[in-house]
Amino acid sequence: METIIQGVFNGALMGCTYALIALGLSLIFGVMNVVNFAHGDFVMLSMYFTFWAGSIWGVDAALTPLITFPLLFSFGIIVYYGLINRTLREHYTIQIAVTVGLMTFLRAITQLVWHAQPRALPYSFIQGNIHLGGYVIALSRLTSATISLIIIAGISFFLSKTWPGRTIRATSDDLDAASLMGVDFQKTYALAFGLGSSLTAIAGSLLMTFQQVDPTMGLRFGLLSWCILALAGLGSIPGLLISGLIVGVGESLAMTFWDPRARSLVIYLIFILVLWLRPRGIFGRK
Amino acid sequence: MSNEQILKTSKLTKSFGNLIAVNHVNLEIYKEEVVGLIGPNGAGKTTFFNLITGLEIPDEGQVVFKGTDITAIPPHKICQLGMSRTFQVARSFTEMSVEEVIRVGAYNRKKEKEVQEKVDWVIKFFELEDIRNYKCSDLGLASLRKVEVARATATEPDLLLLDEVGAGLTSTELFRLMSEIKRLNQETKITICVVEHVMQMVMGLCERIFVLDAGELIAKGVPSEISNNQRVIEAYLGRRGYSESSSAS
Ligand SMILES: Nc1ncnc2c1ncn2[C@@H]1O[C@H](COP(=O)(O)OP(=O)(O)OP(=O)(O)O)[C@@H](O)[C@H]1O
Ligand SMILES: [Mg+2]
Repeated sequence: METIIQGVFNGALMGCTYALIALGLSLIFGVMNVVNFAHGDFVMLSMYFTFWAGSIWGVDAALTPLITFPLLFSFGIIVYYGLINRTLREHYTIQIAVTVGLMTFLRAITQLVWHAQPRALPYSFIQGNIHLGGYVIALSRLTSATISLIIIAGISFFLSKTWPGRTIRATSDDLDAASLMGVDFQKTYALAFGLGSSLTAIAGSLLMTFQQVDPTMGLRFGLLSWCILALAGLGSIPGLLISGLIVGVGESLAMTFWDPRARSLVIYLIFILVLWLRPRGIFGRK
Repeated sequence: MSNEQILKTSKLTKSFGNLIAVNHVNLEIYKEEVVGLIGPNGAGKTTFFNLITGLEIPDEGQVVFKGTDITAIPPHKICQLGMSRTFQVARSFTEMSVEEVIRVGAYNRKKEKEVQEKVDWVIKFFELEDIRNYKCSDLGLASLRKVEVARATATEPDLLLLDEVGAGLTSTELFRLMSEIKRLNQETKITICVVEHVMQMVMGLCERIFVLDAGELIAKGVPSEISNNQRVIEAYLGRRGYSESSSAS
């Protein structure tokens, strides 16, 4: 029983960061209907940047979002104008080919630069554990979850209460109508892509406070965010958060009670079940 | 109506495959007038709107708006220049509240500080106070149409294009909307072009009328001229008479 609760705790904390990653994907997909297969690799890239900042300049992983956020934001904008923009009028298979190509490219680059072995940072200044009753909570995980939640709330506010946020929602609802209200969809798309990408920067840095990174990780994060998005459906941020928790807890329990290697299997299983039983997601609008 | 042109199209043409939806249309709209664009189903009215608002690129011809050539420039720029429209099938931002939808329109011209004032003005003008916090997906057709006109008005256009805003409304609702459109023109001096099937509405509202048939502009003039024009009667009303008599024989 205690192992279950401990597993649920750990999983729920991870789930918050997963939800943050999925929110980035959801922003991009929801606005421009582009399936970014490289999204998970953006997370991986952010983790490597964090590793770099940590090992070269000695910047603590908990602080690197200050560097990686603008970096990935710019990277997202460049990817949008350089690649995605040109495929918007094409068949969706071309978009898939382009983002899968980007994914492969990023993976190859990271293997070249950082080689295949896993990398980790020395412990962050956020360390130690909290003991609660009989349970142990790693402070780094707790901090990551908390920051993820704050960022998710911030994005939610941004989307619902600010002008750029409203243009994102209006454009995702009806592109033509939004254009005729004076909204430049290119700028809105670029903003959504940049913002969606920069959320992976925060998640990546947070994950580096307690995890290691290797070049194959992108696939797992990509899959994971797709699964969460499928579970949540489009347009509901609370739904995204709950789905993140479900996936996080599912993964954690599978690792505790079955086999650490089963973690991806569980995610696949949830993914397939959702697509099969309720294709629009549990909280989806359409 | 002044004698200054706000919009002029010359030889505007658009085909879809073999079908010529809009065929060498030359027309001009003057500042502050209310004009009507009528024609049977498939005449090319919506396509004409799409061409001048930048949603479709013309194959041929030119659109001049307030002295600027706007042929093939993107829709948001045309909106910023001062043209706005509604859609034949009501297209609101379904997930937003009425107030938010209008706010999106208002940002076209206003800075953050002045937006609220504009939004309040539009809501008051179209008497939307009671439903300002409703989600658009919860609205009935009549309110939805009104919100769409309100959203377009909030962009502060010089020229407002209304594509069958009366479609699907009851005659009371239609009459209300019509008087609001008239009041809008009188109070704000916005030039208005309506596409409408309901003849009553067009005749009552418009100072001048253009008639499209199979992509061609076949007549223009004041309402009384149009209702007596032989070609219009043939194209618009006569065809029905013809098919009735042919089915009877
Ligand atoms: N995107 C398109 N692709 C192919 N054909 C089109 C397209 N848009 C319009 N058409 C055709 O062009 C012609 C004109 O259509 P349009 O919608 O402009 O007519 P309309 O006058 O607005 O008719 P209605 O009164 O039914 O709204 C029609 O025959 C229509 O089928
Ligand atoms: Mg039409």
